[in-house]
Amino acid sequence: MRNAIATVLLGLAMLLPVGAVQAQDGPLRIEITDGVIEPLPFAVPDFIAESPAAAQYSADIARVIAEDLVGSGLFREIPKVAYISPYTDFDAAVNFTDWKAINAQALITGSVSLSGNRITVRFRAYDVFAGQELGSGLQLSGTTDGWRRIGHKVADTIYSRLTGESGYFDSRVVFVSETGPKDDRKKRLAIMDYDGANVQYLTNSASIVLAPRFSPTGDRVLYTSYESGFPQIHVLDVGRVQRRILSAGNGSMSFAPRFAPNGHTIVYSQSAGGNTDLFSMDINSGNPQRLTSAPSIETAPSFSPDGSQLVFESDRSGTSQLYVMPVSGGEAKRISFGQGRYGTPVWSPRGDYIAFTKQNAGRFHIGVMRTDGSEERLLTASFLDEGPTWSPNGRVIMFTRETQGASGQARLYSVDISGRNLKPVKTPDGASDPSWSPLQN
Amino acid sequence: MDLRSTGGLPLRASNTGDNVQTGTKISVAGHGLLITWALVGGWLNPEPLPFQSQDVSIISAEEFARLSEQQAAPEVAEEPVAPQEPAVTESTPAIPERPTPTPEPPVQPEPIETPAEDAEAEPPAPEPVPEVPSIIPDAPDVPEIVTDLPQTAEPETAQQTDRVAPEPVRPPDPDTQISDVVQEEVAPDAGAEANQPVQEATAPEAASDRIVTEAEADDAEPTAPLASVRPRTRPNRPQPQPEAETQTAAREEETTPSPEPNPEVESSAVDDALAEALAGSGEVEAPEPSGPPMTRGEKDALRVAVSQCWNVGSLSSEALRTSVVVGVTLSREGMPDIGSIRMLSSSGGSDSSAKQAYEAARRAIIRCGSRGFDLPADKYAQWRDIEMTFNPEGMRIR
Repeated sequence: MRNAIATVLLGLAMLLPVGAVQAQDGPLRIEITDGVIEPLPFAVPDFIAESPAAAQYSADIARVIAEDLVGSGLFREIPKVAYISPYTDFDAAVNFTDWKAINAQALITGSVSLSGNRITVRFRAYDVFAGQELGSGLQLSGTTDGWRRIGHKVADTIYSRLTGESGYFDSRVVFVSETGPKDDRKKRLAIMDYDGANVQYLTNSASIVLAPRFSPTGDRVLYTSYESGFPQIHVLDVGRVQRRILSAGNGSMSFAPRFAPNGHTIVYSQSAGGNTDLFSMDINSGNPQRLTSAPSIETAPSFSPDGSQLVFESDRSGTSQLYVMPVSGGEAKRISFGQGRYGTPVWSPRGDYIAFTKQNAGRFHIGVMRTDGSEERLLTASFLDEGPTWSPNGRVIMFTRETQGASGQARLYSVDISGRNLKPVKTPDGASDPSWSPLQN
Repeated sequence: MDLRSTGGLPLRASNTGDNVQTGTKISVAGHGLLITWALVGGWLNPEPLPFQSQDVSIISAEEFARLSEQQAAPEVAEEPVAPQEPAVTESTPAIPERPTPTPEPPVQPEPIETPAEDAEAEPPAPEPVPEVPSIIPDAPDVPEIVTDLPQTAEPETAQQTDRVAPEPVRPPDPDTQISDVVQEEVAPDAGAEANQPVQEATAPEAASDRIVTEAEADDAEPTAPLASVRPRTRPNRPQPQPEAETQTAAREEETTPSPEPNPEVESSAVDDALAEALAGSGEVEAPEPSGPPMTRGEKDALRVAVSQCWNVGSLSSEALRTSVVVGVTLSREGMPDIGSIRMLSSSGGSDSSAKQAYEAARRAIIRCGSRGFDLPADKYAQWRDIEMTFNPEGMRIR
């Protein structure tokens, strides 16, 4: 009997630790590390027209908002035919059940009123499944001519509330418009909304223009022109379409200009005596300052957002590679080490990545890497991809893609930095060398 | 050993060895003949000649004559039939005119207070409308303006699927509706008299398990396999989990029902009733978890269920570096109490990014919990209150 009791007690003693380990202390805790990456479904019914005259804008503005959000690749619009209940009153309570039923995770509602040539847009955004409004309602007003910009601004606000980062829809792109056959191509500067609307030409096609670059405030554009027979840097006031030459002639070629974040200093390449080096210049004084002095070719400089460093391409190692150096001077550090040739580096406005062009094994790529050269990732691959430029929020890259053959044409494309959402940008003609403006005020 | 007296049969143990030798000889001889026949016999016997068979049918003389007539040359029509012209559709629809953009888009957003919503509306508290930055009315005065952009057809460069999920999902059939839940199509029986419910087939949207950039797709090897993978060895049977003892104990309890109600479950029910009665009068302390613990499989099932709705595709880069711990209380049906969802803590990002990460987590809990999570009812006290840590580290690098 004693033995039996002892055996039972021993067994219980052995079970005790197991029970102690399995005992749940407090609420059930689980960790979720795997999710899905897919566009977030949203609904944006036509805005309510508060007067008959506003009717023409109520649907158009909702379309601009939807196209902006869908175009980002992060959102998916639920078609109107799926709507259960009509949207008729901006101030009425939202029936979240109906929107949940069609899996609309975000809902955007708005109204448009018109007074003379002034248009007023009110809008709200909702987290449908939480049954809550995202932020508070906003109201924008402007002239009827600027109705698209109002739509872009609404989309930027929605984008920001849903993603947590600023938008990029109310921005513009300056680029080189190209017409005619490859052997007689006409090039001129053009500017357009980021989505290809409202294209306007800034120069004529009498001379070749290259590599336009926006100023940090978006009011001026640097570009290279062959108007004098050899490349020289010009600065153009976008609002007044007035331009002036920045680099002195002296038989030297200057090109690849880019603004510093302070907006009054530029950095560029100057070629003289068969050698190309980097220079900086104060726009107001026009005094150049040499930044590099090497027998190799240094070009395509780009500032870090804080203006303290430069990334550029150089063939000092034998092939074209990317280097980073302090603006104040100092030794350049090579950051690209992969196979192939690297060029046209551009620092992200967020400062976290550097976009570049890479040529390897007969293919061109647009890629990104960390500012120290790590985490290199190629986003595209084609016969010819080059000239990346960042969206104002550092999330999207626009670049030039040229197709092969005598009839090949250059077009603009954009891609998310994750490599998703690769798509062409609508332009009336061929287009190359894009430069993305900051968000407009 | 004397085989003569026994006729060769082993009668004694001492003779067994000799008899075995005899048997072995007979066996060897027999097997030798068999192998020889197998090796040589096949050559000697020629394979049967291939032959074909064909079904025939007997027809009458009249039928044969009729068939012969049909093989005569077809009659030629006296007048050729004019070929029909294809119907010409109407002219290409005109491109709708677009309003001519003017070079000066003066937009002046002004902060105007948004009127308060109706009393019936959900409580959006009357918050002041933040100021909207004014838009510079100046726009470039340019010599040329493009008023109409041609809608050129662009090559389709979209990737096969925009969705990335923990496990790759094959594209569903075209007729299948997209849903988080897989359901087979149920059609009413043809001969059924009563009305039967019709259920459409549903399946999750196609997904890949990682983002494939164009460059990666370009580098991909040909899709045809060059070699097959050696099949893996059969996995061992799963070892009994540590919970086995507990489960066994639970089973024993089921087979021998206790005459008295489980005091722990009853206690939990009382606490729930108290919590419901006191709802609205302040926070109610949750009951201490009791009863059998959740097994690993049950926890995994809950984790997978929430994962399916945790969409981080629209999160900012910073939010993708932010982990949030979200607390939620579930009903007995496994449905989340939306009001109970709250962020308990966050790490790795700013308050703004934590807010975005929390909202994505909240959407996941509400969406996938709308039908009720599949949880063991007898362990309600264990999963009534849950703390879910949403860690997007693995999603950021996909």
